[in-house]
Amino acid sequence: MKKPVIIILAIFLLMALLAWMLRDLFMVNPALQKNPYDYGMKEVRKADSMPAYSEIAPIKPLLKEITSIACGKDGKIFLAGKGGVEIFDPSGRVLKMFSIPGYATCMALMPGGNLAIGMEDHLEVWTPSGTIISAWEAVDTASVITSVVATQSSVFAADAGKKIVYRYDHQGKLEAKIGEKDPVRKVPGFIIPSPFFDVGISPSGDLWIANTGRYRLEKYSMDGAFLSCWGEASMALEGFAGCCNPTHFAFLEDGSFVTSEKGIERVKVYSPAGKFVALVAGPDAFDEGTRGLDLAAGPNGRILVVDPSRNLVRIFLPKEKR
Amino acid sequence: MRTTIRGTLFGGLALMAGDLLFKEGLPLFGKNTKAGPTVWQLDPAKCIQCGRCAINCVKTPSAVKCTHAYSMCGYCKLCSGYFKPGTKTLETGAENKLCPVSAIKRTFVEDPFYEYIIDETLCIGCGKCVKGCGAFGNGSLQLQVRHHLCDNCNDCSIARNCPAEAFSRVPLTDPYLLKGFGKEKI
Repeated sequence: MKKPVIIILAIFLLMALLAWMLRDLFMVNPALQKNPYDYGMKEVRKADSMPAYSEIAPIKPLLKEITSIACGKDGKIFLAGKGGVEIFDPSGRVLKMFSIPGYATCMALMPGGNLAIGMEDHLEVWTPSGTIISAWEAVDTASVITSVVATQSSVFAADAGKKIVYRYDHQGKLEAKIGEKDPVRKVPGFIIPSPFFDVGISPSGDLWIANTGRYRLEKYSMDGAFLSCWGEASMALEGFAGCCNPTHFAFLEDGSFVTSEKGIERVKVYSPAGKFVALVAGPDAFDEGTRGLDLAAGPNGRILVVDPSRNLVRIFLPKEKR
Repeated sequence: MRTTIRGTLFGGLALMAGDLLFKEGLPLFGKNTKAGPTVWQLDPAKCIQCGRCAINCVKTPSAVKCTHAYSMCGYCKLCSGYFKPGTKTLETGAENKLCPVSAIKRTFVEDPFYEYIIDETLCIGCGKCVKGCGAFGNGSLQLQVRHHLCDNCNDCSIARNCPAEAFSRVPLTDPYLLKGFGKEKI
């Protein structure tokens, strides 16, 4: 080969090498390099079923940090969160807002119209006009009240810190502890690995408690005797995934369960017997990592979901009703 | 003239050596600062589990390992750091395991609790289990530089390539950055 050709080739190769080095140094974004050990989160967050519900315009609260929701039979919506309570009419118009000193972790409507509000370690009773009636004493300094529900005679509060459900009378007198671990009476105790522990009363008056570490909903008598349960650990749509789910549940008018989960954020409907019925909203409807999707069921099958990540109340309606 | 050049050269070299000793420290004993020797560590709060720790470390396998903050662990039956997503039955067959090198051992404790132990001799520090645990669980599985394995290079190859800038030098006296309910003994 002639000498000039070799020189030209060598210069060409040198230029190419220099260009490749410059590109590698300055133009390749290391954050965009493919991860050979990728978990495949996109695949996991893909819902394998179409939602049977459609979303309508959400409610934008004035509260900066909402945590809990309750819905009256007349459709009024009650929201609680950091430092306040907000009340809306069924169309989402603000009716009332008042301040509370502290952080509301949960809230329930009492039969007389008052609000039972979980304030981290204890319960407080407020009127809907914003007057405090009573503050009940905390059971334990380690208590974290994550859910509250009221019947005509009792108030039930789930304590994720102590893994116990308390039954109070309406004056705040502690009447019973449900689910406290007791090897003598062969009570295994609730498994609550994360601060999500929900309690609810079905339309037929049964007490249901979310035993999240066992991935199931458990039915108890008012005295705390275990009666039945349903739910299974599975990443499939029909089951509950992650370390501990469902984080929240509510009841539709016909006794069907509405559940929400963290990890794979999804809201689902189960029949009163615990059979999967429909997907309300899949992971694609929520920001990744959203936790604390508190639920309430409104009239006409309307499902209200607290979205703490976007600080909105998301509203879902059955597609056929819409 | 020659003496002047020689003097300048030696003077410059002495200055550079002094600068290296006092600023960079001696690699054998960690990087010395006024606060004492330091070592490389990664902050789990910043880590995005990109998989670079497994690839970029000069050691094979990497000196970055998955560590377990037991006080945060839920001892879950369905551990998302252990099982592959979409696993139908919670059995410990290889087809169900998330870890590419099977470095996590699952042991039954009592119903419904299972303990998860990391075999560091197998772990390659890919962070796949950390991603699963953080996304669905309490985030008790966390990546950390294990100092008995780390060469503590002056210019850490993983730190240079970390897209989350999660690597920094920490005091040798407090060499781990586990997040959770308190300092874990690992």
